[in-house]
Amino acid sequence: MADFIKKPVVPLPELHPEPQIPADQLFFTEEEKAKIARFKEQYLEPAGAVMKTLWLAQEKFGFLPPEVLQLVADELGIPYAQVYGVATFYTQYYKEKKGKYVLDVCTCFTCQVCGGYDILHYLEEKLGIHKGETTPDGLFTLQEVECLGACGSAPVLQVSNGPYVHNLTPEKVDQLLEDLKQGKLPPFVSLTLPQDEAELGGNRRSDAEAVESYRTPPIAHHTR
Amino acid sequence: MPRITIDGTVYEFEGRPKLLQFCLDHGIELPHFCYHPALSIPANCRQCLVEVGMPVIDRETGKPKRDENGQPVIQFMPKLQTSCSLDMADGMVVKTHRTSEKVARAQRDNLEFLLINHPLDCPICDQAGKCPLQIQAYKYGPEGSRFEFLKVHKPKRVKLGPRVMLDAERCINCTRCVRFTDEISKSHQLTIIERGVKNYPITPPGVEFDDPYSMNVIDLCPVGALTSIDARFKARPWEMSATPSITITNAKGSNCYYWVRDNLIVEITARANAAVNGYWLPDEDRLDYHRFNENRPDGPEVRRDGRLVRVSWEEAYDRAVELLAGIDGRRILFLGSAYATVEDNYLLKRLAEALGADTPVYIPHIEPGHGDGWLRTDDRTPNAQGCQRLGILPVDEALVRSRLESGEIQAIYVLEDDPVGSGLFTAEALADIPVILHYYNTTNQTLVVADVALPAATVVETVGTYVNCDGHAQRVRPAKAIRTVNRVLMQEIGKSRLDQHGTPYDRWYNEKHQVDCKPSWEILPEVAERLGHPLRYKGPKYIMQEIAETIPAFAGATYEAMGLEGVRLAEIGAEV
Ligand code: SF4
Ligand code: FES
Ligand code: FES
Repeated sequence: MADFIKKPVVPLPELHPEPQIPADQLFFTEEEKAKIARFKEQYLEPAGAVMKTLWLAQEKFGFLPPEVLQLVADELGIPYAQVYGVATFYTQYYKEKKGKYVLDVCTCFTCQVCGGYDILHYLEEKLGIHKGETTPDGLFTLQEVECLGACGSAPVLQVSNGPYVHNLTPEKVDQLLEDLKQGKLPPFVSLTLPQDEAELGGNRRSDAEAVESYRTPPIAHHTR
Repeated sequence: MPRITIDGTVYEFEGRPKLLQFCLDHGIELPHFCYHPALSIPANCRQCLVEVGMPVIDRETGKPKRDENGQPVIQFMPKLQTSCSLDMADGMVVKTHRTSEKVARAQRDNLEFLLINHPLDCPICDQAGKCPLQIQAYKYGPEGSRFEFLKVHKPKRVKLGPRVMLDAERCINCTRCVRFTDEISKSHQLTIIERGVKNYPITPPGVEFDDPYSMNVIDLCPVGALTSIDARFKARPWEMSATPSITITNAKGSNCYYWVRDNLIVEITARANAAVNGYWLPDEDRLDYHRFNENRPDGPEVRRDGRLVRVSWEEAYDRAVELLAGIDGRRILFLGSAYATVEDNYLLKRLAEALGADTPVYIPHIEPGHGDGWLRTDDRTPNAQGCQRLGILPVDEALVRSRLESGEIQAIYVLEDDPVGSGLFTAEALADIPVILHYYNTTNQTLVVADVALPAATVVETVGTYVNCDGHAQRVRPAKAIRTVNRVLMQEIGKSRLDQHGTPYDRWYNEKHQVDCKPSWEILPEVAERLGHPLRYKGPKYIMQEIAETIPAFAGATYEAMGLEGVRLAEIGAEV
């Protein structure tokens, strides 16, 4: 956002892009179709299932180029334009190809104060890329995001729309990158609320034992 | 009957109208952008805010509580309400910006927000002068802006499709355009993308906004974000006059405004008429104006030594009469026209009768598959039904061809059509007989065999009546001036132009691009009189009056009754 304020320019999306998913891979399996049918049943109108179906498509194809949006529209029987509108509204739907792991580093108010930019710059140096870019090996995409809603444990980053890593330090970042290179995602960490502090012996820091109970959907496939 | 109090005045109402529409219907202006009577109500622009209160009901008695003066106690809702989406209720009390400083303030602040990222490029914007945002910002907006930062820049000059251009910076995201494609034309070609300050409407990748009704979003857009690629930068609204009339691209007779500058039609926009076209106009109707501007004739001509030469109108009439006089009336083929007005066809029919000829017939121009069951029809002429109601029927092609071959037809008189171009006759077949032709454009292929060529006034230059495919009789009015002097037209043009332009007395008047043509209702009486059959009327209004009185199929279709919205005629053959 800071960059946008300095140079507030909204680019025009490419109006006639080349398809990026090979035509022979552009389909939903019977299993996926059955799933989408179930999504549809949960809502009054098929359009209600658009977000879940987009999520499913993103897990399958990795990102959502126009041809995938068209596929989703056809599967749901709703206008392609509507699907496009929804997909562009939410930043967590990836419209471009990303790395295997997307690191969303928060630089909003609290994280900024607690060193969010230091973490971001540390990652930039370490990965040799600027924010918004993907490493040449296709492993990591680094992004700057607004408040992740975990200000209590700032600075924070999120991995691929999935688990958070709280109270970041350079050492934690090093560890995270090592783990991810091994294919090991960080665990979900449940944040405690102030009223629970007593229970945890005054320990509000999330370094306390990870619990399963507060899993935040949606959960990407590969994070299971 | 339920009552509502708006700014201290009590109104009665029926049903459950929305407050904004009710106010507009009663001449109470409220600023608004996103609301449109034909579209769903998203209430997203927040410009139509009002203060709303309801009488307090005493729980015990179930009756409204009263204050010490006996007046009902009104409890106002803590927040302002959007009047566009508010259902009216009995006893409701409404304060608009006229009586509530809070509402005036909210409207002002809302406009300040809407203008934060607006480029304010009115000086180069086509919408300036007829822009709801501009008008309402002047009327209700703040004096200036407190926003001192860089404005957001969005894509400009984006061709959404072949006919509509987007300037996303000017958009206020009212979603009218998107709702039009979703709810009315159902092409679903537009959507709002992105979010917050970055959002604007566009087509999804790979999609062209080629909806055959796409240009309606230009009328709908309350700012200059969507403009016509065809009309862009051609003229400012205040340099043009707008004449309410109908389009003649097909048999629907959709209502429109003809925008004229220097006697050229620059643009055609939709005019609302619930009985015909609602608020809409197909793109083809909007772009079908070149025929009024281009390839127009320059005065009457007669054939001398094989060539058409320019003569005076008097000479042209005389020549026509000279050619027709020697021929037995029964041997003259009169061709009426589904492009011409009812009045013109009627006069032609009377002339044919006077000469003892058969009733005229007309050439149908049907393009199968062109219609869409909405505002486009297979019939590409505006007045086939008017002809039929006069008893002028489609021509039996084989019959007239054989009559021509056998020499039974010795002359033809064509009213505003093109028998050669339409394939009814070949030019050779007509080469040896007199052809009198009323015509609009020099591209008329019958001109090569015409002996007398009489330029006729088109729909934008005449006064007359058309009957659409549903039997709706509608008047047309002159939008642009012709070169010759015609008192009826001069009077009508003064009345029909919404503004003062174009009378010979004001400074905007100019004689550029005036076509030397005459309405057929002026030409036909001249010819008839010279043939010894007086056919004088004080004007087309009186012709139509006679038609309405004498022909049951036109009962009720007087100029007064038709007004701006037309009258629905009884079905042909129905008992009147
Ligand atoms: S382009 Fe015009 S009609 Fe469409 S959303 Fe923007 S302001 Fe409204
Ligand atoms: S500011 Fe970073 S999580 Fe809220
Ligand atoms: S007109 Fe009511 S909110 Fe836009």
